[in-house]
This record gives sequence, C-alpha cells and structure tokens, in this order.
Amino acid sequence: MWKDLADLLFQAYEQFSLLPLFIEIALAFIFIAILSTLIAYSAILYRRYKGYVYDKRLAFISPKIEDLITEQVLLNPNLGKDLPIEDIEFDQEALNDKIYRKPFVRQMMIDTLIQYRKNFRGEVGELLRKLYIDMGLEKDSFAKMKTLRWERKIKAVVELTQMDISISDVTILPLTNSGNPALRAAARNAYIQLSKNEPFKFFDIATEPLLPWDQLEMFKIITTTKDIAIPNFSRWVSYSTNKSIVSFCLKLIAHYDQQSAIPAVMDLLANKDHYYRADAINCLGKLSAEVAEEKLVKIYNNQPLNCQIEILKALGRIASGKQLEFLKSEFLYSSNFDIRMNAARSIIKHNTQNSRMMVEELMEMTHEENQLIIKHCLNPLIKY
Amino acid sequence: MASTFLEYASLFFEKTVFIYGLALLIIYAFLAILSFVNVRLFLRKESYTDYKIIIGSPLAPGISVIAPAFNEGLTIISNVRSLLTFNYPKYEVIIINDGSTDDTLEKVIREFSLVKIDFAYDPKLSTKPVRGIYKSTDDAYAKLIVVDKENGKAKADATNVGINVSAFPYFLCTDVDCILHEETLQKLIRPFMEEESKRVIATGATLRMANSCEIDKGVILKIKAPRPLLARFQEMEYIRAFVLGKMGWSYVNCVPNVSGGLGMFDKEIAIKAGGYDPASFGEDMELMMRMSRYVQDNKIKTAIRYIPVTLCWTEGPTSLKVFMRQRTRWGRGLMQLMIAHRKMLFNPKYGKVGMVVFPYNFFFELMAPIVEFLGVIYYILLIIFGMVNWPYAIILLVFVYTYSVMISSLAVLWDQLTFQYYKTWKDVVRIASMVFIEMLLYHPLIVIFALRGYYFHLANRKHTWGNMQRRGFKESSEVKPTAATT
Repeated sequence: MWKDLADLLFQAYEQFSLLPLFIEIALAFIFIAILSTLIAYSAILYRRYKGYVYDKRLAFISPKIEDLITEQVLLNPNLGKDLPIEDIEFDQEALNDKIYRKPFVRQMMIDTLIQYRKNFRGEVGELLRKLYIDMGLEKDSFAKMKTLRWERKIKAVVELTQMDISISDVTILPLTNSGNPALRAAARNAYIQLSKNEPFKFFDIATEPLLPWDQLEMFKIITTTKDIAIPNFSRWVSYSTNKSIVSFCLKLIAHYDQQSAIPAVMDLLANKDHYYRADAINCLGKLSAEVAEEKLVKIYNNQPLNCQIEILKALGRIASGKQLEFLKSEFLYSSNFDIRMNAARSIIKHNTQNSRMMVEELMEMTHEENQLIIKHCLNPLIKY
Repeated sequence: MASTFLEYASLFFEKTVFIYGLALLIIYAFLAILSFVNVRLFLRKESYTDYKIIIGSPLAPGISVIAPAFNEGLTIISNVRSLLTFNYPKYEVIIINDGSTDDTLEKVIREFSLVKIDFAYDPKLSTKPVRGIYKSTDDAYAKLIVVDKENGKAKADATNVGINVSAFPYFLCTDVDCILHEETLQKLIRPFMEEESKRVIATGATLRMANSCEIDKGVILKIKAPRPLLARFQEMEYIRAFVLGKMGWSYVNCVPNVSGGLGMFDKEIAIKAGGYDPASFGEDMELMMRMSRYVQDNKIKTAIRYIPVTLCWTEGPTSLKVFMRQRTRWGRGLMQLMIAHRKMLFNPKYGKVGMVVFPYNFFFELMAPIVEFLGVIYYILLIIFGMVNWPYAIILLVFVYTYSVMISSLAVLWDQLTFQYYKTWKDVVRIASMVFIEMLLYHPLIVIFALRGYYFHLANRKHTWGNMQRRGFKESSEVKPTAATT
C-alpha cells in the first residue's frame, strides 16, 4: 500500500514538474491558501470554544472564591478584637481544598484578592494579604518573576506590589532600567510603592526615559500612596542627566509646592534645550516664584515662542503686579496672536485694581482685534 | 493583426502582470504576519494597562474633538450628546455647522442653551468666513463649542475652522454622525505618550458599520454584524483594511492614511503642513501625505500609529447609488493625490514614505483597478479568439480566489483574536460568509467605481458634494420593540 502511495505521489510530482512555472507557483499558493483558511477558521472555532469554557469555569469558580474570602476574611470572628494579624488563623481545611491547587483557580484567587485589596484597607486589607501568603500565592507570583516573558514579569510585579510583598533591590532595581518600556514602568512604580527608605533611588541610576504615559501612573502613585517619603526633587533637577526624569521632577516640585527648589529650577533657564526651559518656566510660574520674575522678563526676548508663551503665563500666575507694564506692552505691540492672547490672560489673571484699570484702558485704546482678545479672555464661558 | 496584438498582450500579462500580482500577494502575506505580531503586542500591553489612571490625571494632555456637520438636523442632538460622553479629563468638542440649510444650528442652540460669544482666534489655516461662535450657558455643556460658518463645499474647510478654533495641542477629527466609544480619547492619546524616540503625529483605530447595532442616545449598546448585504461587505472590508492592513503597516511605521472618520493628530504639525486641503477628494490621506512630507523636509523623526480596537461606528451606505458616489470620490481622491505628490515616488529624500508608502499606494492601490480591468478585457479577447487554455485559466482564477479568501479569513481571525466584538456565532458567520462571495459580488463594484473616479478626475468632471442620505440609527427601543413591553 505504501509503495502504491509513493508511486502515486511520484507520478503527481512528475506531472507537476512538467507544468509551466507560473502554474506551479499558482498551485503551491492554492494549497497554502486553502490550508491557511482552514487553520484560520479552526482557530476561530477553538478560540470561541475556549472563551466559552473559560466563562463556564469562571462562573463555577468565582462564587467559591468569593465565599472563601467572605468567610475567612470579611466575616472572620477575630476581626476587631485587636489581635495582631499574624495571630489570626484561617480554616486550614477550606484553604487546602483540592480546587485551590489548580493554576487557573490560583490565578483567579490572586486577581480577586487584588480587587478586594483595592477596596479594603486597614485590618481587612492586612488579612487579605495574610490569606495571599498563607495560600502560598506569593510563591506563584515570584515564580512568574523568573520567566522570560516580560508581560508575565509585569503581572508578577503588579501582584506583589498590590499585596505589599517586598521585592529585593537586586531583583527589582535592574528592571527599573530595563530596555522594555512596559516592564521598566511597572518596576519603577513597584519600587516607589515597596521601598520604604529610598523610594526614588532608581532616579539616580535611570538612563532609560520616563515616558509621558508612564509619568501619569507614577504621578498618581507618588501623590496618592500613604507614608511615602517625599524628597526634595530639586536634587535630580540639578544633577540628573536624564531629561525625562528632570521634566517629571519639575511637575512634582510644582505639585508639592517645593519652594526650596526654586534656585535649582532657575538654573535650568540657562539650559540649551528650549523644551526643558519651557518646563522650568512653567514650574516657576506654578510655584509663584516672584524672585524669578525679573530674570524671566530679562531673558524673554531671546527665547523661542514656546518659552515666551510660558513666561507670559508664569507672570500671570505669579501676579506680583510688577510686570504689568511689560505684559501691556507685549499685548499692544506683539504681532503674534498667541503672545497677545497670553499677555491679555495674564493681565486679567492679576485681578487687582491696577490690572482691572489696565484692562479698561486697553479696551479703549487698542484696535478691534485686541478688543476681541480681551473680551474672549474675560468671558467666563470660555474655559480653555 | 489581432493575433499579434494578443501575443504581445499575452506576453505582458503572463510575465509582468503575473509578477505584479504575485508581488501584491506576497505583500499581503507580509502584512498578515506583521499585523499578527502587532496585534499580539498590543494585546499584551493592554492586559496590564489601567486607563483609569489618565482620567483623574492633571498630566493628561488636552484634546480638541472636531466634528463638522452639514444638514444633520435629524440626528444632531444625539450626535452631540454622544460626543460629550468621553471618559477623559481635558477635552473640548467643536461642532462646525458648515452652512447647513436645514435647522441643524437652531436645534443645537435650543437644546444646549447656546449663546453667541466674542471669540478670538488666530486663523492659521485659511477658510470660508465664520459667522458666529457659540458657547453654552449651562455648565453641563461647558466643553461644547459650536461654530457657524459659510458652506465651504468640503469637510476639509470645516475641519480647518475647527483646528483654528481649537485650544489643545491634539485634535481628534471625526464625522458628527459617527458613534465614538467613550474611551476613544484615552486610547488614541496613548501612542502619542509612549513613543520613545519618535514624535507621533497621528493615530487611528478601527472603524465598523453601525447599521445593525443597538444604539441608545448615541451610545452603542450591542454590536451586531450589519444585516444589509452592502454594509456587511463594507464591514468585512474595514476589518481587513484596519486590523490586517493598517496594523501591519503600523508595525513598520508605514501607515499610509489615517481615516477621516476617526483620527487623532498633532495640531502643530498639521497646521505647519497646511491643514486639510478643501480642493482634495481624499482630504484625510492628502493631509497625511503632506504631514509626512513636512516632517521629512524638516528632518523630524516621526511615527503614525494604529490600534486594533474599534472605537468608531459609522453608518455605511446601503444603497448602491450612495455607495457608488462614495467610492467614486475615493478613487478620484487617490488619483488626485498621486498626481499632486508624484515627486515623492521612489524619492529617498522622503524616507519610508517615498520608498514604501507612496510606491505601494501607486502600484497596488491606484494601479490595481486598472490592471484588473485590463486583465478582464484580455480574458474576454482570449475567449473570443479561442485562445484560452482553460485548465490553466481555471487554476489561475482559483489561485486568486483562494488567496483572497485566505487573506480575508486571516483578517477575521485577527479581529476575533482581539476583542470578539460579535457575541453570537451568527454574527461571526455573517461576516465570514462575506469572505467567500466578496470577490464575486463586491470587488467588481469597487473596481468599477474606482475607475469611474479616475475617469472623472482625468475628464475634470465637476463633483457635487452629495449628502450621505443617512437613514439614521435605530434606537435600542426600536430594535427590540418587545423588550419594552415585557
């Protein structure tokens, strides 16, 4: 039989080799196309079936996990008795149920505990953490840290952070400078949350950029995590060679109103990078750094447009009243629309008797387009 | 003499066109692989991304949503309400009434308590005159700006007004009748914020047909594959173009176009490139080409990115007449664009745009309908003169058919791998079945209408901007009348 089949295949090959090249290519492509199409639809079938099975398993397991957490943690009779969390015991029989040995269920358990931890702090939060440790789930998370797949590592870092399990500096610090932006961001966020003494240590060694998207999460973590030791961020403004770290620190300086950072921020006004300078000017404005006003006005004429606009905004935020004449002259004599608009906004932002008188005076003496700008800036319906 | 001509034609088709066809199929195969890699990468990133962080962040960049409207009186209120529901901390919605002759403006003024205001702006892009700018006295609609302008006979002119008026560094361009997902802004801004060494100048996402979806007050409640055959073909075509095509091109930073229905742009670059061209019939692609040209001329390292998430639902034409008008305009726009920017073809000065994007569009988008049409003529002649080698002809037809089925099937698979928008098997089958008949019924129409567009352009035929003649979306209560009574 095998011989017949081999003969048949050989004959087919002989006939195939006699065909013109383009027909041979076409036949080969037909074979590939049919095979790929069949695989594609099989994959769709398999994926939808897998999704269906997953949903079924989820529907079966979820209530069990919820029940376990409710009974062992939320309704734990020892809660509220001022017992140390370490001394509160769980029902070992419930924890040792065979079902909790399956990887799928263990992962679901971790995910559910994380969700609960987000909603419960204090004693309940600590007990949820203890349940995570007692079930050996932190070992699962650490095992994920050792895989080569970066998304698994991220998952592990997030799980350990959410459960407040410390990760050694040797493990986490190299990841804060990883070439993979996603892993790097997760590790940096974890480091800030887990490191009790020096949460910003990685700022010193960071050579990879801190992307604007990652800054969003880090900013939120820094500004919302309790008991975090907030340093003087001017340290990195002065010494870091990582531009994105400096830029981020400027935002944090403004947020925490770190007045002591003003000299360091002012030093940046001499930086060659105009994006940098614009960030520094913005920061000085938000710090209401009156001491910087004169210098800002002095450098104004040598700056590119983005920095000039930031200077005008900063003068409006500082609003000392000393630079009203400067703002007025920019409003009246600049040919650039954005300059005039920002100068007008800054004059109005002063909101003093002098500034109000100046606005009235400008309305009378200036041309129609400038009057429109003032009306625009005065209109409370226009927010941006 | 006829046989000599056929001999030359035969030589041309058997050699040159075969190689051309093969090259196209190989490119599609590469795109399929690249898009698969890109979709997987996207999904891995999505698995741990918490978009809620951007919602409350003071660091979120501002975005202006620009939506031109022309005679949209029937649906304008729900359209605007839909645009005001984004989950994003810092955005404004700019509706441009492009000289509507119906009651679009009056309805909006009444519904949103608008008053005409003194609004100063710098007309960096020249447009038709603006008649008035309106803001709401109701704080609930503080994000809304309505601009009333003279009709510019083009969406481009209206969008340019929106760009002039906008306050933020990024703008989202859409059609007022598109239904956008509430997470559109947070998803589309992300690529701008996570590129390491390049400046992202535009991002786009997948569009789908809204024709049979369940919609309530401008919000999609249930996604369904379109019932009308023409809309279903378009859905299939969109899935292939966005999930497979643009995701593949995005991976190698060669995205040729960001759709006019949904695209987010870097305002500074868009303005410096001159904004939308009101004289263009394919203004979205034309802008991308000019933006790419501008950044290459100024040696700015940039990227255009796509994400495989459906964020926009639009009503596809269901009548052949409207569909023909749309595709004729697209064909005309493509030819106009290729002629206008012909100097970019194989010009290394323009980097990937000159060496990959433009040549691909020229050879495989612009030329494809012409080659196909000539191929059909050649076949007919061969049949007339009895010169067809039928077994070979059939093999070649089967080859083209099975290959196109494979590419479309892979697109459906990639789409299913992402978010499984269709909840029922029926919907998947509805779309998958189009794969098998698309080439026989839909594709010929595309070719004919594209050729019609080329002809119109070459003959300099006057174009009239017809209305889309939308049927309007069925609200969920209309789709399921029994649900309300039970």
